[in-house]
Amino acid sequence: MTPSRRDFLIGCGAGAAAWATLGLLPGEFLVSRVDAAELSPQMRKELAAIALDTAKKLGATYADIRINRYRSQVVTMRSQADRSTGKLNHVPSVSDGETYGFGVRALAGGAWGFAASNAVNREEVTRAAKEAVAIAKANASLRREPIRLASAGSYQDTYSTPIAKDPFSVPIGEKLELLRRAGEEAKKNAGVFLATGFIAQRVEHRWFASTDGSFIEQHVYQIAPEITATAVEQGKKQKSRTYRPHSVTAGYEAVERADLVTNARRIAEEAVNHLKAPSVTAGKKDLVLLPTHLGLTIHESIGHSTELDRALGFEANYAGTSFLTTDKLGKFRVGSEIVNFNGDRVRKESLSTCGYDDDGVKTRQFPIIKDGIFVGYQTIRDQAHLIGQSESMGCCYADSYASVPFQRMPNVWLAPGKSATTLADLVSGVDDGILIDGRGSYSIDQQRYNFQFGGDAFWEIKGGKVGPMIADVAYQSRTTDFWSACDGIGGEALWENVGLNADGKGQPGQINAMSHGCAPARFRQINVLRTE
Amino acid sequence: MAWTREEAKKLAEKVFANSRAPECEVWIEATEAGHTRFAANDVTTSGSARDLTIAIVSRGNGRSGTVRVNDTEEAALKTAVARSEEVMAAANVDPEWVDGLPAQKYPEIRAAHEATSKAGAPERKSGVKAALDLARGRKLAASGFSETTARWAALANKRGNFGFSASTSAGFSTTMRTEDGTGSGWAGLEAPDFSSIPAAELARRAAKKAEESAKPRDLPPGRYTVVFEPQAVSDLLGNLNSVLSRRAADEGRSFFAKPGGGNRIGEKIFSENVTIRSDPFDARVPGRPWIGSAGGGFLGFGGFAGGNFAGLPARKTTWIERGVLRNLSIDRYWAKKIEEEPLPFSGGLVMEGGTGTVEDLVAGTERGLLLTRFWYIRTVNPQTVQLTGLTRDGVWLIEKGKVVGPVNNFRFNDSPVNLLKNMEAMSAAVSTGDMVVPGIRSRDFNFTSKSDAV
Repeated sequence: MTPSRRDFLIGCGAGAAAWATLGLLPGEFLVSRVDAAELSPQMRKELAAIALDTAKKLGATYADIRINRYRSQVVTMRSQADRSTGKLNHVPSVSDGETYGFGVRALAGGAWGFAASNAVNREEVTRAAKEAVAIAKANASLRREPIRLASAGSYQDTYSTPIAKDPFSVPIGEKLELLRRAGEEAKKNAGVFLATGFIAQRVEHRWFASTDGSFIEQHVYQIAPEITATAVEQGKKQKSRTYRPHSVTAGYEAVERADLVTNARRIAEEAVNHLKAPSVTAGKKDLVLLPTHLGLTIHESIGHSTELDRALGFEANYAGTSFLTTDKLGKFRVGSEIVNFNGDRVRKESLSTCGYDDDGVKTRQFPIIKDGIFVGYQTIRDQAHLIGQSESMGCCYADSYASVPFQRMPNVWLAPGKSATTLADLVSGVDDGILIDGRGSYSIDQQRYNFQFGGDAFWEIKGGKVGPMIADVAYQSRTTDFWSACDGIGGEALWENVGLNADGKGQPGQINAMSHGCAPARFRQINVLRTE
Repeated sequence: MAWTREEAKKLAEKVFANSRAPECEVWIEATEAGHTRFAANDVTTSGSARDLTIAIVSRGNGRSGTVRVNDTEEAALKTAVARSEEVMAAANVDPEWVDGLPAQKYPEIRAAHEATSKAGAPERKSGVKAALDLARGRKLAASGFSETTARWAALANKRGNFGFSASTSAGFSTTMRTEDGTGSGWAGLEAPDFSSIPAAELARRAAKKAEESAKPRDLPPGRYTVVFEPQAVSDLLGNLNSVLSRRAADEGRSFFAKPGGGNRIGEKIFSENVTIRSDPFDARVPGRPWIGSAGGGFLGFGGFAGGNFAGLPARKTTWIERGVLRNLSIDRYWAKKIEEEPLPFSGGLVMEGGTGTVEDLVAGTERGLLLTRFWYIRTVNPQTVQLTGLTRDGVWLIEKGKVVGPVNNFRFNDSPVNLLKNMEAMSAAVSTGDMVVPGIRSRDFNFTSKSDAV
């Protein structure tokens, strides 16, 4: 549901005085964007030539430059009664921004070097290219073997996320008004203490050139709406429930189809019921996990364990390694025979989807788990040869022009069940279990064996039927035990493209967004804790 | 490129010259950072980056709009100011609005060190080489990270407030793993001065931990007396500053809320020996002179750091004194509401320690565990501050005052509140980079399952 034109004008009308200060009519934007000196295609090519030629002349065997521009906007609203007057306050926060810069990467003496800057001009590009090579050479003597790159091909291409409605063309007032109405709707439930919501949007304009002869221009749009209702029992307990329409690579249409207001009413009721619900009884139970919950379980247990850099020890000092060591590739059983995972950066609307990765490799889909067996790693160009492969799976990404590109998780999704299995089918097979939705507290060890996950809404399942809500639930398991206990996966019609906005990895830390599509799935006899 | 106070002032003036809103704030954050990573006994990636964030906040009549850019050209700034004003006008009135701050007196905090700002790949190389040489010679696999950052920050508003700060930070950490994959050790330190970080010594410590943690024996989960090394204490107290919120307590949604209403200031909640401050002037964990920064971040989720604390001068504050809760942080809106002075949490957390070493804590333990650090700590219940997470990089069984051998890693479900309630003894406090904390021996820490991870 979208706010009506009338509601929107009311929202703007309240700000007429503020607009008048600027000499404008309400809603009239003269500055449509923070458009600081967009580079011409000719200038970009010239800067690329400077970077790549400088690096090559100084001895680089490979170099690339990314000249990237990021535009982002976050509109948030907190709806909460004033402590003294009881009046419902809607507290807004709006930020908008546009940053750009470049990063040069060079391979020299068999080692990597990188240098980046926010000042995009000839002198700075020259300086950075020299510095990238100098850093590579300074470190080269510490390498026992030179870095090797799998071939990437050479592309002159463009890619743009298909969008129906540019999110930056939608007035900020309209977004605030939508969040205000959602907050108001949630607060109609007297048990709700506060409601929060946001609409976050971003476009990455990535421009890539390499000594392989590639020139690739991409526009990737990401959008993430969300609302949360929190119920509080003063000084005793609190429960929050979030409605998180899947964040996607798409335009504002993703917000318009999400129906935030109706869902605000639902999550308000669920937060309040959750607060009143009795605690779970600990013990082994069957779990039916809904996509908004299961997506993060997939991310932590399968997504991270199948990253090749972790398996090789490249992330041992921070994010950790993986129980899926390279000797297990092609033969190790991770889950039951119905469990199939794919990696990709091509699926429509998934958050990691784009045309080319930051190595200049064309994106693709590839199998990770097939019939329960581990068959594929997420890889990039400088890793493939380490496991005897000749091509990269296209998983290279840097979260900024100023960040070093490295292996990041693509979309990793669970294939739907083969038959047209419904949620009722999954539940009907459960005698004593729990239906779980949403994200709670998530924690997993650094090799991805042991995890404890919670949700933000739990319903008891007894005798094959979903009953009332229960509370204080978390489950603990080991990755292989858990996926081996999977005996039911919903059919294609139930598959949802669950998105994750902010996965952290690397040193210095970088952020990445990807999707973990899945249908609801059932897991037998998992250890459930009472967390009260 | 190093920034000076005058350059920051000049940029702010350029912004104000184009500003039509009743109030305007500028936040500047410029960095020059370099790093070297190593893993699997080789150097992996290494680089340097110059970056800049300029946050322009136009404010007036209860509204505000923030725009973040990184272009200092006059035309670009003019566009950014106009955009921030339009964002402001499009926003609805903030019912929790606070006026812009008049000129503040910000303290001088010495936190910039030339050894850090001048360090490049060649300077970082010696520490990295020490770790690699040691690991290669002892059949260990080394990975790690060496980083240096120089930072210049400024804030200014049209009411005449202005602050400028230059600071540096450096860090070195390394993880060593045994060839058979059964042992792992970590050591690391962050400090403002690159030359004060003993990289080779840290590498030796990590290697020793790796070798001594190899081939662990199985120990069941349960409640144990635990000797927490300072890093493990620091990991558990990591979110304490966000828990110390007066508003959350007054609103009944925090551990420091009283059931039925009010907060627990004045109550003795922790062990007699627990005294915790925040101290921006402690040279080991210096803070910036004011609260807040230009913010930003991926998807813009970094937000405008500081919220209604933004711009308040940093100050030293005691939060918990001899086990009694003395203060909770108060932002400017809440201060107005409850008619008290704002009270920010600024600088690093500093906990008073005892006199001995971690070895002394071990010597005084009849039976218990010695822990290096934690991993993936998440809040399970915000009301009780119940956390879950896992041990990492070395757990040992202690019997009759002696370390008898390595044991498996565990998942815990427990609260830092219990750590501080059940505390039996402390070592002297040391810096872990973002806090100054002692090693602690505490009773009945709750491990709920075994972890196979090493």
